Order: sequence, then structure tokens, then C-alpha cells
Amino acid sequence: MKLVYPWLRDFVRVTEDVETVARELGLRGFEVASVEQGAHPVIDFEITANRPDCLSHLGLAREAAAIWGLPLQMPGMAMPAPGPAEDLDVEIADTDLCPRYCVQVFEVKNGPSPAFIRERLEAAGIRAISAVVDVTNYVMLELGQPMHAFDLDRIEGRRLVIRRAVPGEPLRTLDGLERALEADMLVIADASRALAVGGVMGGKDSETGPATTRIALESAYFQPASIRRTSKGLGLKTEASSRFERGTDVNAPPAGIARAAALLERIGAGRPLGSLIDRYPSPTRPLQIRLRAARIARVLGQEVPPADVPRILAPLGFLVAEGRDADEPGWLITVPTFRVDVLREVDLVEEVARHFGFDRLPSTFPVLSAPQAPLDPRILRDRLLRQLLTTAGFSESMTFAFIEREAAMPFTEPGGQPPAIANPLSEKFAVLRPSLLPGLIDSCAHNRRRGRKDVQLFETGSRYTSAGEGRAAAFCWLGSAVPPHWSGSGRLVDFFDMKGALELVCAGFGVHDPHFAAVDRAYLAPGRAAEVFAGDVRLGVLGQLAPVLAEARGLPAGEEIYVAELDTELLGRAAAGDTLRAESLPRFPAIVRDVSVLVDEALPAAAVRGTIRAAAPSTLASVVEFDRYQGKGIPDGRISLSLRLTFRSAERTMTDDEAQDAMDRIVAALAREHAAEQR
Amino acid sequence: MTDPARDIDALRTQFAEELARASGEPALRAVRDRYLARKGGLVSALLRGLGAAPAEERPRLGQLVNALKQEIETTLDARASEAAGARPPTGAVDVTLPGRVPGTGHRHPLTLLRERIEMIFSRMGFLVIEGPELEDDYHNFEALNMPPEHPARDMQDTLYLAAPVRSLAGSAATLLRTHTSGMQIRHMETHPPPVRLIAPGRVYRRDNLDLTHTPMFTQVEGLVVGDHVTLADLKGTLFTFVRELFGEDRQVRFRPSFFPYTEPSAEVDISCGACGGTGIDCSMCKRTGWLEILGSGMVHPAVFEAVGYDPERYTGFAFGMGIERVALLKWGVEDIRLFYENDFRFLEQFPL
Ligand SMILES: [Zn+2]
Repeated sequence: MKLVYPWLRDFVRVTEDVETVARELGLRGFEVASVEQGAHPVIDFEITANRPDCLSHLGLAREAAAIWGLPLQMPGMAMPAPGPAEDLDVEIADTDLCPRYCVQVFEVKNGPSPAFIRERLEAAGIRAISAVVDVTNYVMLELGQPMHAFDLDRIEGRRLVIRRAVPGEPLRTLDGLERALEADMLVIADASRALAVGGVMGGKDSETGPATTRIALESAYFQPASIRRTSKGLGLKTEASSRFERGTDVNAPPAGIARAAALLERIGAGRPLGSLIDRYPSPTRPLQIRLRAARIARVLGQEVPPADVPRILAPLGFLVAEGRDADEPGWLITVPTFRVDVLREVDLVEEVARHFGFDRLPSTFPVLSAPQAPLDPRILRDRLLRQLLTTAGFSESMTFAFIEREAAMPFTEPGGQPPAIANPLSEKFAVLRPSLLPGLIDSCAHNRRRGRKDVQLFETGSRYTSAGEGRAAAFCWLGSAVPPHWSGSGRLVDFFDMKGALELVCAGFGVHDPHFAAVDRAYLAPGRAAEVFAGDVRLGVLGQLAPVLAEARGLPAGEEIYVAELDTELLGRAAAGDTLRAESLPRFPAIVRDVSVLVDEALPAAAVRGTIRAAAPSTLASVVEFDRYQGKGIPDGRISLSLRLTFRSAERTMTDDEAQDAMDRIVAALAREHAAEQR
Repeated sequence: MTDPARDIDALRTQFAEELARASGEPALRAVRDRYLARKGGLVSALLRGLGAAPAEERPRLGQLVNALKQEIETTLDARASEAAGARPPTGAVDVTLPGRVPGTGHRHPLTLLRERIEMIFSRMGFLVIEGPELEDDYHNFEALNMPPEHPARDMQDTLYLAAPVRSLAGSAATLLRTHTSGMQIRHMETHPPPVRLIAPGRVYRRDNLDLTHTPMFTQVEGLVVGDHVTLADLKGTLFTFVRELFGEDRQVRFRPSFFPYTEPSAEVDISCGACGGTGIDCSMCKRTGWLEILGSGMVHPAVFEAVGYDPERYTGFAFGMGIERVALLKWGVEDIRLFYENDFRFLEQFPL
């Protein structure tokens, strides 16, 4: 809303300069977008949705009157003596969408309007057209009441009907477009056809022009939600619709006509014919609200002197009466119908606060009356994850939750579809991500394109599958396994680096025995993919990214890229609770024995470990692989696997014989179960 | 005619300068050769040049040259033994070579800021909650005093789902949350007052990517409800927070605004760091001297009614901010899209 400073001074004789006016209104909730100096200084305000009354000079003038304690003077609104009446029949068929409709017939000379009108309109950002159109716009900017002029001689049957459109009803609007209207759109029609979309835009057929000699000037109130729907439906936003959809003053239409009549007479462009036609079947009664002094203090945390309340509210247009309830000091406030935002007591408290001054409120602190609950465990979980993953060398990334369908499909469960967005910004943001990996892979590719060889990224966040919204953490690793160093010994990342990172995360969450099982996944290279479990709960998956997929996202196909993704909800649930009991340290020494066996190369290490555990006595404390060898000296199809076994008794020092006896049984079991030969 | 005495002084100065530049044994040896070599050395050349001096001057000048020669020898010997003594002991390492930095990753700058904000509010007794990113219309709009067709829905252009999806809260979600307020509604639905919490998380709006907009961004909203919570409390809480995050020297301003779920509503501005709040020729604050940082207000009674709180008995305040915007203002990041490109050249600018 562009406020033309000299225009404001028609209403309120402010003496402050334009910058001061802008600043003071800014501090009362009217954000200033810009201030333009010049012959007609202009302040451009961003008017919030709740204050349609301030899409007018009068509305902002009331605020100025309250700020500086100045009287408000209304412009000339005396109805000139009318000429003889013309026939015009007006009927509101759908009063739910149009509660009030006023029309006044004028005879006009529709030439250009005088300079003072044109200059003010143009300063306010509206193009001058002709006397009739300019006057309607002038009144709208002045009082906030949008108006529309029909050429009286284009109204067939001298009859205006305000009704819902017939589905598909045609209308050529003023912008020249042929439109097909829908059933819940309101039209102003004559005896045979729609002439205008009520409150949104007039029609070409009844448009006024230089040749127009008689007009029917409309000044109405339309139901805001209906205007909003229609404006959206037609993709048509006008000065009129943006005021009606937020709510105009139901009692302003006659004032709009009177002001227009006074202006037309003043500029010699027309005079009324006959009297005002006002269709207003059920007049709105202004709202009355009790405002309690104690409530003001209760909400603001600050007593406002009782005398300030009428001093603030009266200039804004509220009728203030002293309350009659002696037990509860306060006021009975009558809300003017242009204040569509004021519906309850707290809205009045806000009015008082705005003009009392937010800067005058003290700064206090809310009293703590109860101890606070602990942090949401999910917040703690994500913090721990970040700590573990950054320790493991991964940097945190953030990517959008919506991705392109093509990127999502490889990660969508077979036969499924990722949830789609109904109104996406573009194809790149078409579906919700089924996994965090596609975005992460793209971030890796972004870094590669900019010359970064080694990339380790992770993200925690939401993902969307057929089960709905879930939480996950994903990581991606390409390039070196360890940071490059002058001492050499660089190595590229492999499966076991990524598996180690997962094991670290599990250990960090107190999931001590995660197990891993080979798996097939379309997006992972065959034979290089595994699922990780805590007990029988599947936490996630890891493996080498399928080269064809890496290449499709702009990463080198010849390079091994490792990825993993964990369900963090499940990880959080699998985490050891706060049940830890410390164990005392062992009192007796351990005996360590190594064993190397030749086994089939396809035999999982876990099977060997399992056989050892089953065959060993309860004194076996741990078993861990320390070498795996294939090649010279080993028969084809076999590997040499070396394991270190640690035995310990809680009651006494074990003897070598006991250990040897255990080893013999273990080797025998390995030979029996896996045809293993000891080396 | 040259003055031999001055030549001697000049050579002494020249030697001192060259010596200062020479480091290491080979360089010292070169200096020795240049000055002291029997043939072609600068000192012997000087001695030979004395032949041109008056006869009565020659003995005194000869003494001066010999003194210089002595001086140069002593100095070079001292430096040579010093250099030999400075050789590192056997097995010494070159401490100037790069170390092996453990491969530690960086947290995302938005996480750094979010955790910092969480810490400040935790200390003030605020609970930190988490919640669904997909929402139903009721929790995102209706319960927040934005019934269908409410004009304020236009303030947040919403991304809708083509078909309902089960949210983390188990409800049938129809949209991507436009703010984290839904979490607060859910909290109030299940907890009686008092309430004192912040709700951080990702939110979604149908905004095209540009320097200051992304269709996904991170928000922190807060809510305090109790028997005697006031607008002055809101002011005090937010001023404390803003000063702690941006520094005690920043001015803070509180001015009226509009949000459908608060009444009265207020915007919080901080004085511009780029121009020190003067606004003079400042593009950062568009010459106003102020930067918008937070939206806030007293919880609208209609919101309390929606969650079953008695609006007569309880009052409360709510606030919200975008972490990206805070980051732009705090760190001078010029393009918000950098936060979602995950370029290491950007990520590594922030501390671990
Ligand atoms: Zn500035």
C-alpha cells in the first residue's frame, strides 16, 4: 500500500516529516518497504493480512491520529442534488456471497480527470484512465472501498442480478480474456448475461469509455472467502479482490458512493440521477467486547494507565464506554465494522499495546514453576550419531527431502512408488526421498566435479517408504581410506572401512554384537552388500554402490564407492538402555592360542567362529581373526584363516594342558564341520 | 678519488649483510671464499688498492684492513662451529613436516548453530522436542487458528502430497509441514501446562531457490505456557537469547506484527552488524539499520481452545526463526543455497 503523504494530510494534519511518519507507523505494525521523496512523497507499507482497513489512506490516517493525538477530518461527502431517476432494478439472489449491494446511477462526461487526481493515483502506483475509472480508484485508495462502473446503456433489461454463475458461463473480462466461470463464482448479471465477476473484475461488454454518458456505479460488500476462491480459481488478483478477500467494511458502500458523487461533481464529470439503491437485507450489528483492565496487565506484563485506553482506542474508531461492573474495572468497546480483525478481548489488548508502545514494555523472564523434562531421546540420539560419524571422518551434509523420481526409483522397494508431491516446484523435486542416499551421492558427485578426491559425507534425517515417514542416517565414502600423507601408505576405501564405521556406530550406541549377512540390493554391487542386524532387528544396509548407478549420477564407474544407511529409530531402540553394570577386572591371567586353518574360500568367517565357540569350553573369552591369506602355497579355492583365541577362567589360573585340550577339540570340530586342515 | 678508509667500512657493512643472509654450511663457505680467498678475495683486493694511497697513510690503512680480515675470519669461524653444532641428533624428526591429522569430519554449519541455540534455551529451562515432518492439515493450520480459506495460509505456500502418507506421529499426513508449530500442538494435546519448549526441525515451503530462499529450511520455534506468562516475558526471553547469540553490543527492537496464531504479535529486529546500526549506505539492512530475526507473540486463545487449555487461566508466548537466516546474518553467508550443496570448500570453513 503506497501512502501518498500529502493525501494523508487531507485527513490528519500531521506536522512531522515523511521519514518520521514512516518510522512511527513502522513501530505500530506497518512495515515500511520504502520511502520515496519528491513532489508527492510516498511511503510504501507492507500491510499485514489482518488489516485490510489500512489498504487505504483513511485507515492509516486513523493510526496517525492515534499516534499524534490529532483530529481526523473526513473529505467532502455531501451528495449533490440528483437529476431525474433512471430505471434500474437490482436484486441480490445470493446474499450469502453478497450481503450488501449499492448502486447509484450517474450521468457523466467521461474525459480525462484533472491533474490532482491523476498525480495522486500515479504516485500511488495506479494508472490514470478516465474520469469515471479514476474516481472509483481514487475512492478505493482513499476509503478502502473498491467500486465498479457499468455503462448503463450496456445493461440489458435495466436490471442487475447478483447471483452465482451458471457452470461454464462465459465472460470476457476487462483484461480481454474469455473466461468460463464456475458454479460458486459470483457474477453481476443483467437480464441476459454475466457482466462482471463480482468483486474481482468487470467485463469488457459493459466497460465505460469516452462515449459513455450514463453509468451505474457499484459499491458493495462481498463475502471474503468467496472472493478468495474466485480470485484463485481464475488466477486473477486485482486491487479490488485483494481488499474484498481480506474483508472490507460492510457499512462503507454508501460512503463510497457519496464520496464518488462529490468528486464527480467537483471535477465537473457527472451528477447523480435518482437516489441511491441500497440492497442490504440483514444489516450487520457492530460487535461489542468487554475489555478488562486486569486482562491488559495480565497479557502484557505491564499496567496501562486507565486514561490511555480511550485515548488510544477512540481515534482508531472504537466506541469506548466505561464498564459498569464495579468488581471488574474495564470498558465496553464497540468495534467499528471496518476492523474485521478485532473479534475478542485479546485483539483489543493488542490495539492498546501497539499504541502504548512495545518499546515501553519491561523485559522480564517467565517464572519456572516445574522442573523441565529431559531432552527428547531422539535429539540425544542424533547428537550421538553426529559425534560418532564425525569421529569416523564423515562430514555432515544436508540435502532436500524431495528428489527427482529417476534418482529415487533404485532405492524404492521393488514394485513400490515413492510418495509424490502434488504441486512440486519442478521435476527435480517431484517425490519424497525413499532413502537419504540419492541426495548424498549427488553431494559426493558435486564435490568430485570441483576437484575433491576424497569425500566422506553423512546425513541424518527423514525418509519416506510405504510404511510412511521414518528417520535414517546415511553415509557415503569415496577416495582414500585414510587422509593422504607424505609418509605414503595411502589406501583406497574398501568394504571393511565402511563396515568398521558401522561397527563404531553400533558400539557407540551400546549395540555390542551386531551381525552382518550378505544380501542383494539393486543399488549395490553384487557380492559387496550386507545387512546389519542387532539381534533379529534389521538396522540397515551397507555395500559398494552399483557402478552403473554411480556413473548415472556423475561419479566414476571404475572407482569403488561405499555407502550405508541405518534406520535410526530402530538403532535408538536397539541401544542399550541405562542398565550398565560394571564388571570387576579378571583376577587370573589369560592364555592365548593362535590357530591357522585351510578352509574353502566361500566359507564365511562367521561360520568358523561359530564352530569354534560351539566346540570350546566356557573358558573361551574371545576369538578374533588376525590373518586371511590366499595365493602362493595355498591350494586353489582355499584360504588360510588365522584366529587368536583367548581362554580365561574366573576361578583359577588355567594350565597349558587345559588350553591344549580345548584347542584339540576345536581343531577336530573345524575338520569335521568344514573339512578344515590345520596348517 | 676514492677514500680507502670509507671503502674499508663499506666492505665491513657489506659482509655483515651477506652473512646475515647466509644460512647453512655451504652458504658460509661461499661467503668465506668471496671475502678471504688469497686470489680474487674482496679483502686482498682492498689491500692491493692501498697502493694508490699517499705513502704516509699506507701503514695505518694496512692495519685497518688486517683488522677487518681478522674480524671476518673470527666471525665466520664462530658461525661455522655454530652451524655444525646445530645439526640434529641422530634419529631426529623434521618437526616442520605435516602431521597425520586424524580424519575427523565437520558438523554442518546449520547443526552448529542449531545446537548452540538449543544450548542457550536448554539453559533457560526449555525442553527440546522432535516431531513429524509430514503433517495433516489440522496440526499445521487449523489448530493454529488458520481454518480452511484463511488468508494467512497464503503467507506460507504449502507443498502437498499427492496421496496421504503415514507420518511419524502415525497420522495420515497430507502436506509437508510449513513450520514446526504442529509439534507444539501435539505436545499441548498430550501435556497439561506449564509448557516451556523449543521445537527445531526442517520445514518446507513452495519457494524457488534463490539467494535467500530454499524450498526446505530449518526452523526453531518456541512455546511457553503458564499461569502468568506475559508479553514482557517474551521480550525478556528473546532479548536474552538474541544478545547471547549475536553479542552484547547488538541493539534489539520489538515491534508489532501479525501472525494468525499469536495475538498480540511481535517481530524482533537486531541492529545491523554490517553498518553498526546506522543504516548508512548499507545493503545488508537496506539502509534501515535493523535486521528482522524472529517472529513471535502471545499464543492466540483460539490455539489454546483447540488443544483444550483454558484461555482465561493460561497465557503463553510463541516465537520462531529460520536458522539459515540467523546464519546469513551471523556469519555473512551470502547465498543460502550453499547450505544444501555440501561443498567441502564451504563446510570446512566452520569449526569441527
Ligand atoms: Zn546495515
